[in-house]
Amino acid sequence: MTLPRKAKGERPYFFDDPAVDRVIAMVMGLAGEVAVMRDRLDTIERLLEQRGLLARRDIETFVADTRVTDERAAWREAFLGEVLRIVDIEREALSTGDTASYDDAIANVTDTAAPRRRSRTARKRSAASR
Amino acid sequence: MSSDPSIEVQAQHAVLPPVNHDELARENFVRAYKQFLVKHVHGGNRARYERTVKPAFERAHRRAPQDRFEVRDAMATDSYYQMFSTLLRTSQEMMWSACQKPIVRNHQTLNERINERGGPSVVGGTLRLDPELSIPHYHTAVDIHCQPGGYHSEFTPADASPGMLYDRAVHVYAMGQMGAYNDDMGASIAAWLGHHHPEFQPRRILDLGCAVGHSTIPYVRAYPQAEVHAVDVAAPMLRYAHARAEGLGARVHFSQQNAERTDFGDGSFDLVVSHILLHETSEQAIRRIIAECHRLLAPGGMMLHAETPPYRDLDPFDAFMLDWDTRNNNEPFWARSHEIDLRELSARAGFDAEANIEMLIPSAFQQAKARRSAVFQGGDFGGGGLWFVYGNSKPRVATRAKRISARASV
Repeated sequence: MTLPRKAKGERPYFFDDPAVDRVIAMVMGLAGEVAVMRDRLDTIERLLEQRGLLARRDIETFVADTRVTDERAAWREAFLGEVLRIVDIEREALSTGDTASYDDAIANVTDTAAPRRRSRTARKRSAASR
Repeated sequence: MSSDPSIEVQAQHAVLPPVNHDELARENFVRAYKQFLVKHVHGGNRARYERTVKPAFERAHRRAPQDRFEVRDAMATDSYYQMFSTLLRTSQEMMWSACQKPIVRNHQTLNERINERGGPSVVGGTLRLDPELSIPHYHTAVDIHCQPGGYHSEFTPADASPGMLYDRAVHVYAMGQMGAYNDDMGASIAAWLGHHHPEFQPRRILDLGCAVGHSTIPYVRAYPQAEVHAVDVAAPMLRYAHARAEGLGARVHFSQQNAERTDFGDGSFDLVVSHILLHETSEQAIRRIIAECHRLLAPGGMMLHAETPPYRDLDPFDAFMLDWDTRNNNEPFWARSHEIDLRELSARAGFDAEANIEMLIPSAFQQAKARRSAVFQGGDFGGGGLWFVYGNSKPRVATRAKRISARASV
């Protein structure tokens, strides 16, 4: 079975720009899942310790050798690459010169006689570059 | 933060959806999130109001805000209040979402178990459903307190999932401050009655708008000789409530009825109670419910309704904060219900306004005392450590004037 996720009724947004409310909800959603993961890790450590498979002070005094350090550094970089992908998209476009307006792509396949209106994105872009 | 861990733990019973490790962790996060908001964030609203918002209003208007509406308009653009509000609304949505997970996972097994209770009873309680009963508009207009689907929606045949969801979510919502069985409102009224009216031994008790019967059961415990009935408009709540009560060994007779007009006979109860029901109805419904209480009570009978306190004794800022739920937590009748003249409400229903009871009674759940915030809202329902109770009673012997007027109206 599935349950509805949204309660019937208009959802209030409190900031002038509702994007702020949305981002906060995302951050809290992520914080919740981090807390769940942290509890799970804590359970694992406690169980391992209870069963004599691990002493938790060994975690605190664990010294990573070069191989582990390198592997972790690589993982962190890849992780940040995923999280900060949106920034990378912009950088990549700049470095490859992929900066033409999307309207050009539409014009390229459209009869020029047809009436056209610049998209919201294009208007925002020209406003931002001012 | 040192808190008594035991109040975080909801008592398992036969039909409470069991949680796995991560489901419990998710609920505990929401509890901690809400607790953090009330303990460390909520108070900042008052500070912002006193230091920034109110002085700005006074400069512009040459007077202080005079009611909660003026406070609301002034606070609406304050970034601290905006942050608090968006966090509180999000916590409410995360609460329902977290509590839905164990229900979806356990639904089939649990729903079967719950419906089996519709058969032979364990301790003699009963369940009477009425598929013809129309769900009142005040429950269908929006999903009250943002519970997706509300009390009444069914998502499978003979569904009890809204009851399962409500039982888990109330414990998270109150952050455990209503006890391991969410029964503090009923338990507090029963304790008050036992202390102040030890001679009052009701033989028949009715709980209106009982939901999952969490507040009903304390009356079964307090008055083991009494016949206890409970009504609600929502079948999914009652299916669950019946199985829950049977599992807990409490004999309750549940029936699907609207508290505005039940099918019980005149004068058939000595005690009629409700718990945070009135603010979830409507202006018309509340009058009908109190009139129905008057009809249902026997001479010497008493009605008692637990609610959050009226706005009248609050300063405009506190009234504004208590009003948060009206617009932001799908509680459209919350504000108006807190402004109703309770003496007039009683009088219109046939009670003697002079006999009105309007009081704050202490919570019976002392274990939660240490961590209560002593505020009534700000996301801390049950945090006041007190319940507001509105009530009235019927004279033991009808006065001569009333007998005459009663005869005249026949």
